[in-house]
Amino acid sequence: MKKVITGDHAVAIGAKLSRAEVVPAYPITPQTLIIEHIADFVNDGEMDAKFLTMESEHSVMSAATAASAAGARVFTATSSQGLAFMHEMLYATAPLRLPIVMVNANRTLGGPPGIWCEHNDSMGARDSGWLQVYVEDNQEALDMVIQSYRIAEDKRVLLPVMPCIDGFVLTHTVEPVDVPQQQDVDSFLPPYMPDITLDPAKPALFNTLMLPEYIMELRRQTAGAFESAKKVISEINDEFAKKFGRDYGGMIDTYRMEDAEVALITIGTVTSTSREVVDELRKEGEKVGIVKLRFFRPFPAEDLKRVLSGVGAIGVFDRSISYHGGGHVFNEVCSALYGITKPIINHLAGIGGRDVTKEVIIKMFDLTLKAAKGEKVKEINWHNTRGETV
Amino acid sequence: MFEVRFHGRGGQGAVMAAQTLAEAAVIEGNYAVAFPFFGAERRGAPVLAFTRIDAKKIYSKTQVYAPDCVVVLDDSLLDTIDVVAGLKPQGTVVINSKEKPEDIDLGKEIRTASVNATSVALEILKAPITNTAILGSFAKATGIIKIESLEEAIKSRFGEKLGEKVGERNALAARTAYENTVIGKSRGIKKLEPRKQWLPTYQEMPVGGVLVEGITEAGLIGPGSFIENKVYGWATFRPVRDREKCTMCLLCWFYCPEGTIVRISDKGDLMTNYDYCKGCGVCANECPVDAIKMVRARV
Amino acid sequence: MKIKDLPDDNLFTAGHTACPGCGVAMSIRNAIRILGKDTVVYVPASCAVVFGTTFPFGAWKVPFFHTAFENTGACLTGMKAAFEMKGKKVTAVGFAGDGGTYDIGLQSMSGAAERNDDVLYICLDNEAYMNTGIQRSGGTPFGAWTTTTPVGKKVQGNRRFKKNLADIVAAHEIPYYATLSIGHPLDFIKKVEKAMTFKGFRFLHMFTPCIPGWKMDPAKTVEVTKLAVESGMWTLYEIENGEKKITYKPGKMKRVRDYLMMQGRFRHMSDDDIKTLQMWVCKKWNLHYKEKGAPEVCEIAPPEEHHAVTEEHREMHGP
Repeated sequence: MKKVITGDHAVAIGAKLSRAEVVPAYPITPQTLIIEHIADFVNDGEMDAKFLTMESEHSVMSAATAASAAGARVFTATSSQGLAFMHEMLYATAPLRLPIVMVNANRTLGGPPGIWCEHNDSMGARDSGWLQVYVEDNQEALDMVIQSYRIAEDKRVLLPVMPCIDGFVLTHTVEPVDVPQQQDVDSFLPPYMPDITLDPAKPALFNTLMLPEYIMELRRQTAGAFESAKKVISEINDEFAKKFGRDYGGMIDTYRMEDAEVALITIGTVTSTSREVVDELRKEGEKVGIVKLRFFRPFPAEDLKRVLSGVGAIGVFDRSISYHGGGHVFNEVCSALYGITKPIINHLAGIGGRDVTKEVIIKMFDLTLKAAKGEKVKEINWHNTRGETV
Repeated sequence: MFEVRFHGRGGQGAVMAAQTLAEAAVIEGNYAVAFPFFGAERRGAPVLAFTRIDAKKIYSKTQVYAPDCVVVLDDSLLDTIDVVAGLKPQGTVVINSKEKPEDIDLGKEIRTASVNATSVALEILKAPITNTAILGSFAKATGIIKIESLEEAIKSRFGEKLGEKVGERNALAARTAYENTVIGKSRGIKKLEPRKQWLPTYQEMPVGGVLVEGITEAGLIGPGSFIENKVYGWATFRPVRDREKCTMCLLCWFYCPEGTIVRISDKGDLMTNYDYCKGCGVCANECPVDAIKMVRARV
Repeated sequence: MKIKDLPDDNLFTAGHTACPGCGVAMSIRNAIRILGKDTVVYVPASCAVVFGTTFPFGAWKVPFFHTAFENTGACLTGMKAAFEMKGKKVTAVGFAGDGGTYDIGLQSMSGAAERNDDVLYICLDNEAYMNTGIQRSGGTPFGAWTTTTPVGKKVQGNRRFKKNLADIVAAHEIPYYATLSIGHPLDFIKKVEKAMTFKGFRFLHMFTPCIPGWKMDPAKTVEVTKLAVESGMWTLYEIENGEKKITYKPGKMKRVRDYLMMQGRFRHMSDDDIKTLQMWVCKKWNLHYKEKGAPEVCEIAPPEEHHAVTEEHREMHGP
C-alpha cells in the first residue's frame, strides 16, 4: 500500500510494524513527528506498546536499556543534542548486548545552535557500540527500522542499531512509501525472545562491577559481534529483498560502478541527488559512479576494497567534520584502503544544513576526475564555503 | 632499582606507608614512585600498594611482580594470600607479627624481619594503625633507607595531614619498631593453595557479561555467589554469645549487616557463621541483655 | 511482620564486601527479604554496586541491574513498562544513595514520581558521596566534615543544612513516602510492607550510617541511628496519599551534641556551630511534632556571629 508520508511518519510506521513494545520518548526537532505518530498509534489502539513520556533523553536511553534488559522490544528516536545527552547511556547499552533500535534524525550539534541536517551528531556516537546505518529516502528509512530489529536481535549480533535519517531532507519531506503488510512483517520479524532477562524466575546479574581481569575479554567479545554483524546484515538484506522486493545491497550499495573510472562515496540523502548527477555526467561521457555507504558501523572495509579496485581516484563526501582536517567518512575510508596508492579526495559539504546542490556534487566529481588524471588536487575540500577555493 | 610490595587491609594505611617510603627515598636524593592497586573492596579487605626506588628517574608504570621486599601490615593475610609470590630469592619479608621469624610459616624459607607493630601502635598512637611502625622495621631490615630520613618523611607527610603532634608520634612509632625488629629466617612448611579464579576466554565469557547462577572450576558464579567469599580475615574481634543469657529477641539476627547470624534448631537457637563475620560488633552493642561479648578473632 | 516472622533466606547473601558495620548493607539486606524474591533491583553507581557485585560474583539473589549514576527513576520506569507488557507481577525497586537521589539523580527520580510510575524508590541516605571517598552531597548536614567541605582555616565543614528532600518528593503527590531507621526494626518492617501495598510511585527514605564516612566505631551503627531519631536529626513518619502521620515520637528530646560527638565528622564543630545546628533541629522539631522541643535543649541563646576557629581550638580538637 503506497502512502505519501514524511520520513518521520515512515519511521513511526516501521516501529509499529515491528511491534515495538516499549517506546520511551522525549521530543526534539526534527525527530518530534516520529514520537507524535507513535503516541497516536498507541492511544488509538493501533499499536500495543507502552509509550513513556520521559523527562530527558538521558532518561529515555536509561528506560530503553532497562526495558530491553527486562525482555521487551524497544524503540525510540532522537536527534543531535538529545543524542549527545544520552551519550553515557549509549555506552551502557552495547556491551550489555541489548538490541534496541533508535532512529537518529541527523541535525547540527550545537554550538552554534542549528536544527538543520548535519552528521556531526551521530558521528560522535560512532564508537559507542551501536550499529549505524544511513539511509537515502523515506522507503529505506521504514524498511531499515524493520531490518534493524532482525539484525540487532540476531544471536550472532545482539547489538543496538541506530538508523540515521537526514533531518528535514527526509524527516519533513513527503514522498510515496510502500507500507508493508503487517502479516508480511510478522513473518519476516519474529517476536523478540531473549535467553536471559531481568526475571525473578531465573535471576541474573546485569552489569556487575568488572575488574581488569575481565573487561578486556568483554570488549573483545563485543568487537567480535561487530565482525559477525557484517555477514548478518548481508543475509538479512537478501532475505528482505526476496520477501519485499527491495534490495539495498547490504553494507554498501553501488550505482553505475561497473566501468567507473572515478567513484564518489556518499552517505545519507546526498546519495539520492548524486544518482541524477551521475546520469548527467555519464551522458557527457564521464565514467563516474557512486558507492553508497550505508553502514558506518560496522565499517564495510572489505566491500569498499572490492568495489573500488578498478577506479583511478576516489571522492569521499562528508557531512561532518572531525577537526583533524577531514570528515569522518574520509578518515575511515583512508584507513580501510590503507596501502592502496590512488588519490582519495575529501569533499565536505552540507554542514549545518546548507543545501548540497547538483553543482556542488558535479564539482566533487570534477575534482576527483582531475585527481584520477594525475592533476594536483587538494586532499580536503570545503565546498560552497566562503573563503575556501576548490 | 629496589621494589617493594605492601600487603594490608583497607583502612590500615598501606598506601600511605608506600607513599611515605617514597618520600623518604626522595629525601635521600633518590627517585621514587608509590602507587596503590585500586581493587573493589572496602575497609578491612586485602589491599596492595607498591613503592619503587632508584637513583635515576623511574619510567616503569607497571605493577611490581618481583619485589625485593614484601611488607605485610597484617599477618592475618597469611591465611589467604601468598605474600611471598614473586619475591626475589635474596629478598626480605617485613611482617607485623608477635612471632619471631622462625615461628612464621611463609611457605618458603626466606629472610624475614618481624615486629609487633600492633602493640607499638597501640602503645604510642593509641590506635592499631601500623603503617608507620612497620616502616621503621623496613628501614632496619633492608637498610635501603635511613631511619632518620623515614622519620623526616613521616613528620612531613603525617604532620601535614593530621597535625605536627600526630606526625611526631608516628615518627616515634617508626623508631620504636626499628629498635624492636627481629631478623631471621621464616619457616617454609605450609603449602598455600592460591585461590582459584575463573578466567574465561572471550568466547567463554557469558554474552554481555550477564551472569546467571552457575558453577565453574573455581566455584559458584552469578546471583548469590558472594557466599564463596569468606571474609573472616577482616575481623579483629568476633562475637561470642552466652546462650543462657540470650532471650532470642533476634535483634542481632536482624541487625547483622552480613547475615551471618542464622537461626537453627527449628528457629529455636542462633548460630554465628564466623566465615562471614567481619567483627563489626553491632550485635554485641545492641544486645539488650548483654549476652554477646566481642573477643579477639585470632590469638 | 514481626522480626521473628522475617524469612531466613538471605536474598542479599553473606560474603559481600561492604565495610564492617555498614548501614547500607544492613538496610538492603532487610528490605530485600521483606520485599521477597519477586523483585528486580536497580542500583545506580554507588558502594552498593561495588560491594554487592564484583564479576563473576554477586550478593543479590534477585535480578540485578545497573548502568549509571543519575537514572534510577528512569530505569525503574523502563523495566516496569516491560514487566507490564509481559504481564509479569514484579516489584521494580531502586536502591539509590543520597548523591544519586538528592543531586545527580533528582531529575530522573522526579520524572518517575511525577508520572506516578508503579515502582519503589529506596534512598539509602548516608549523607555524602561515600563511594568516591566522602564528598559533600545535598544530603550532608550542617557542620559535617567531608573531603570537599574540609575543616580549614576559614571554613569548618559544610555550611548548608541538609536539603529537605522529603518535601520535594511529597510535592509530587505520590501515594506513599516514608522515612525509615534501621534502629527501629518494627517501624522499618511495617513501612517496607506497607509500601508494597500501594500502586504507583513509592519512596522509602532510609537513614544509613557510613562507618568510614562518619568516622565512627562500626559497632555503633544502630546506636547512632537511634540517637539521630531521639535528637530530632532524623524523624520517623509517613505521608500516605498526602496525609502525614508521625510513626514514632521520642519520649524526651536529646541534645544534638550527644549525637554529634559519636562521630568524627562532627567532632571539630565549635560551640557556635553546634548551637546553630541545634536551633535548626529545634525549628524542625517544632514544625514536625507541632510542639516546642525540650526547653533545656532548645531554649538557648542564638550563637554569636560566626568567627573563624582559633588555633587554640584546633590544638584541642584536632583538625
